[in-house]
Amino acid sequence: MRNANVLILTDETDFARLLTACWQGERNPPGITVLSSELMKEQDSPPHDLVVLGPLREGKLSGLLSSLDPAAAVILCAPADSRELAQLRAKYPRLVHVPLREDWAQTLLLVAGESLRRAEAMRLAKQAERNASENERYATLGRYMMDMKHSVNNALTSMLGNAELLLLEPGQLSSQSLAQIKTIHSMALRINEIMQRFSTLATEMREAENSSQAETEETPTPSVPRC
Amino acid sequence: MASKAERLAADVHLLSVENHGVSMAASKKILIVDDSPAQVKLIHGLLEREGYSPVGLSDPKLVEETIHMVRPMVILLDVVMPERNGFQVCRDLKGNTEFKEIPVIMVTSKDTASDKFWGEQQGADGYVTKPFTREDLLRAVRRFA
Repeated sequence: MRNANVLILTDETDFARLLTACWQGERNPPGITVLSSELMKEQDSPPHDLVVLGPLREGKLSGLLSSLDPAAAVILCAPADSRELAQLRAKYPRLVHVPLREDWAQTLLLVAGESLRRAEAMRLAKQAERNASENERYATLGRYMMDMKHSVNNALTSMLGNAELLLLEPGQLSSQSLAQIKTIHSMALRINEIMQRFSTLATEMREAENSSQAETEETPTPSVPRC
Repeated sequence: MASKAERLAADVHLLSVENHGVSMAASKKILIVDDSPAQVKLIHGLLEREGYSPVGLSDPKLVEETIHMVRPMVILLDVVMPERNGFQVCRDLKGNTEFKEIPVIMVTSKDTASDKFWGEQQGADGYVTKPFTREDLLRAVRRFA
């Protein structure tokens, strides 16, 4: 799994410090950015795979949530009896709540690990979709080229053959005409070389398809939190 | 509507007039079967200057009758042709005791390994892919004539 980016939004320094320390003890720690609610307001949210919302100043939570990317995975670490929680869960069904109790850090890391794996799986699925769409376009182009190859090869046969015949029996042709025929001949050979590339197109497309398939089937390695 | 014999005569004559007086009985006769007159004319020109007596045929349905008439040493056979493709023609010739000994060289733009394999399966004795050079063509023909 590639290195993930996590944004911790909290106005409580100890929360951010403890969570960061726990994450740093992981085998593959994510890139972590910590912002307070004030700083978040002042700047654009950095790109991230997961947002962890810790304790915030009164009334800030709803505004921050609405400013986040709706597709982003968000974990809210707040007391279970938080007044806003029920409303927020109704408004943001993808919001995951981790109760802020004694073992919150361990629970949060477990949940975050799963969220990141899910985000990675989504990213791979989207990439696979993009690859499939691109391959489809190449396949259409390849089929068209293969259909046209017969006609192009026949035309090239005439160009090459007639040029060779003229060069063998130049008759009254001037040296300039002969030079021009030689150019036609060599250019026809060049087109032929280019056309040969299309003969291997099917193989190249199969390889690209296999590579895309392998990437899709790649299973992310789970990491166990040690905090 | 022209009879089959008339069509055959017209088709073969159309191209054999380009033999420029070379005695077909005394020379190495090569039958060129290709639906494209330009391709036939080209191969005709390439072979003629090497001393062969090429005869062109653009209608693959008339192959057997033309062979009866011309008695070629080698047949150069295109694959992609309307109504009767070169593979079918080759299969029919190789299944016919009268014609099976005549070498058939497929001359085609179908250049994949599977095309060549399929040509061999039909009994083809040689395979030249388009576009070919003069040397490619002559090398294949000289194996048999």
